[in-house]
Amino acid sequence: MAASGRRSAQDRPRGLSSLVLRAALVTVLLVAIVGPLAGLVLWSVAERWHWPAALPQQIGLKFWIRITQGDLLKALNRSVVIATVTTVAALAAAIPVSYGAARARLPLGPVVLMLFLLPQAFPQLPVFASATVLFYRWNLAGTFLGVVLIHLVGGLVYTVWTMTAVFRAIGEDVEEAAINLGASVTRTFFRISLPLALPGVVASAILVFIYSLDEFTGTLLVGAPYVTTLPVYMYTASLGYELQIASVTALVLMVPGILLLVLLERFLRAEYLAFFGRL
Amino acid sequence: MEVRVEGLIKRYGQVAALDGVSQTFPAGALTAVVGPSGCGKTTLLRCLAGFAVPDRGRVWMGDREVTYLPPQSRGTAMVFQSYALWPHMTVFENLAFALRLRRVPRGEVEQRVREALELVELDRVPEIERRRPRQLSGGQQQRVALARAIAVRPQVLLLDEPLSNLDAKVRHRVRVEIRALQRRTGITAIYVTHDQEEAMSIADVVVVMEGGRTAQAGPPEEVYARPASPFVAEFLGSTNVLAAVVGEDGRIRPAPGGTLIARAEDIRIIPPEETPPPGSAWAEGEVVDVLFLGAGYRAYVRIGDEVVMADHRTPLPRGAVRIVVPSEKLFSFSRD
Amino acid sequence: MNATRPVEQALWWLAAVPATMVIVVGFGFPLVQSVVASFTREGVLTLANYELVYRLYRQDVAYTIQVAAAGLALTFGIGIPLSGYLRLHRSQTAEFLLKVPLFVPFVVVGHAMRIFLAPRGTLLVGLHALGLASQDATLGIGEGALGLAVALAWKHLALVVLLLMGAFRGVGEEYLEAARGFGAGTFRQIWAVLVPMAAPSIGLAVVLSLTSMLASFSIPLMMSKGSGPQMLMIDLYYRYGQHGDFGVASAIGVVSYILAAGAAYYYLKGVTR
Repeated sequence: MAASGRRSAQDRPRGLSSLVLRAALVTVLLVAIVGPLAGLVLWSVAERWHWPAALPQQIGLKFWIRITQGDLLKALNRSVVIATVTTVAALAAAIPVSYGAARARLPLGPVVLMLFLLPQAFPQLPVFASATVLFYRWNLAGTFLGVVLIHLVGGLVYTVWTMTAVFRAIGEDVEEAAINLGASVTRTFFRISLPLALPGVVASAILVFIYSLDEFTGTLLVGAPYVTTLPVYMYTASLGYELQIASVTALVLMVPGILLLVLLERFLRAEYLAFFGRL
Repeated sequence: MEVRVEGLIKRYGQVAALDGVSQTFPAGALTAVVGPSGCGKTTLLRCLAGFAVPDRGRVWMGDREVTYLPPQSRGTAMVFQSYALWPHMTVFENLAFALRLRRVPRGEVEQRVREALELVELDRVPEIERRRPRQLSGGQQQRVALARAIAVRPQVLLLDEPLSNLDAKVRHRVRVEIRALQRRTGITAIYVTHDQEEAMSIADVVVVMEGGRTAQAGPPEEVYARPASPFVAEFLGSTNVLAAVVGEDGRIRPAPGGTLIARAEDIRIIPPEETPPPGSAWAEGEVVDVLFLGAGYRAYVRIGDEVVMADHRTPLPRGAVRIVVPSEKLFSFSRD
Repeated sequence: MNATRPVEQALWWLAAVPATMVIVVGFGFPLVQSVVASFTREGVLTLANYELVYRLYRQDVAYTIQVAAAGLALTFGIGIPLSGYLRLHRSQTAEFLLKVPLFVPFVVVGHAMRIFLAPRGTLLVGLHALGLASQDATLGIGEGALGLAVALAWKHLALVVLLLMGAFRGVGEEYLEAARGFGAGTFRQIWAVLVPMAAPSIGLAVVLSLTSMLASFSIPLMMSKGSGPQMLMIDLYYRYGQHGDFGVASAIGVVSYILAAGAAYYYLKGVTR
């Protein structure tokens, strides 16, 4: 019976040795994965920490308060605004491409899809450096618009690919039913297809938002010296050996991702997750 | 080796896949476990194989209790429904895998692989050992799966719907071959299937399961001739089930509390004026439809509110008839 | 839906233009420009940029390959047995933990690993607190190739495990049961059944990680101490950012394209399959 695959996990007896092994595995993973991140937390509250104390000699929120003021707050604000604009633009630009590709109405659809993958499959830095040279020529370097553009370059793949998959999953028959009843193709799209695709739209919006928030390479090159987002701010802080500021920034940067991981763990499908590795 | 289970209970969440199964599978015989999907037959087989551990109850192989033993220590080998031949290994490697695990010496591995392939009559297929599963036909894959299981010389062979992925023609041929192989080797075999015809044609003993319990067990002829419950009767043939009882005059009359069961092949149709032979039950009805089945005809006869199937050698006109069932072929159960 | 009116089809096409233009202007065109720039010096066609790359950076090319290879070995040396084990013995906690690095941005990984693996970083603090390190001990791996490989492996392990788990889950349970029925243990089920049956996906995961590690920038940038051999992307960044030498930077870029191109070929082949 086909059910055998699903069952087997509970079928097997659990021996003591296997329980010990599993406990050991989880412990090792916990140390290896949480360990480096725990260092960030400690440094973010360490007002004074000298070797070889296990914990900082003086603990306080002095550096966390910087979030609410000055440069850090400005960088945070700018990051959020850029990520929002990038997300909206990426959605608007991607929907027609995804829909066209999913319904095979866009000639050369597969080739176009590959095109969006390129920025994630190729070394970004040399291309972004080259783009910066161009952006200087067009007076886009160091501007808000320039940074959004470079974020779109890397971010469009998330919206285009996720939504193509979503549109493909929506049966063409529901659209044909509407058209059969006299609706135009455009009306069908906005009244039938798009509402059905809403979960996918939200998923891809989250993906591109986080990508934009975390984007470093392109922003460092194109944004310099006027547009400082959170990752760039963190880099500058760490260059100046302000470990605490850098650690606070790092933790702030991790918040959206971890939130997403915890909240959406069940709902995030493997293929959505796979994109995250390329951030 | 005799296989025996006692009071097996296995739950998956809320569902009891096995709800107290006790059953003996005789040594050297082929026992078919048959039932509709979800009746627990596959779970029973998995408990025998060691892929599942029952929540309660015991499993015995001969006089050894194996309930908690891992699969490889039970002397069983399983043939999977999908064959589960490893696609990246050649036929030889598939068969040799288990032998190597058992540290059988190299020369002997080759010999035993060849023997197993001979047993399933694949030895004449050219280059068979070097082929990969996907280069074989469905029937050949099935035989390789069988060979892989018997190559380890198990004391009990377990087969989980082994023929369900084959088309009808091949299925009938392989069925005969499995039967012959089991006879030749005298191995104890337990065969799970949902196909009652397959079960009855292949088995020495048929175990009919329903809802996680054994409904009836015995030689196929016996189970077929004397079903222990309406369920068994219905499951084992083209069967009519009527809410009715037989009166003292032999007449079948509707009664909500009674259950009458008769097979289409046992019902005779006679003209409405003919007197039914003594010792048989009868009813008046009307032929509403006749289907040509090749070997004969199947008439649909309306009796009161119900329609009864009856087989007939020659075509029939529609209209009033009587149906007659010999008493010994009519099973009567009273509903609790 | 062959009855789409030509006007509507043209409109769809038009609507697809902006997204396509972003990639063409922001990636395609710069890519071509950097290839052209790598062969020119003050407007003249020349190989001078590559000569300089060979003279100054050939050791860094080797270093980059070494680091990527070490990172790859670490990632898959841990990732394959780990994914196999988790495929056979499900552990939600372990799977959740393994996903965490996916959601940690590269820059943050770089910074976290820098303070973790520093000569007297939080790792050593922890070891010392447990009595495993003396008071004058220092940790020597943080700024070298090994520290970098560890950081890259830490970040990539999550994606690799995710890809491998997907592939391993695609292997039907009955293939494993057949092996288990003959007495194959965890180790043998992984190596004799799971790995060969999932070989194409493993290959794709190797290629994906290799490309990403070869072209890694943020992690080495955060961890680099500024002397000794460097990853190619760091060289490129300083060549471009500090020397303003776009020609040589582009030549380094082209070297990285070539390193990635072979891998990308398989990547695209894998994706289209």
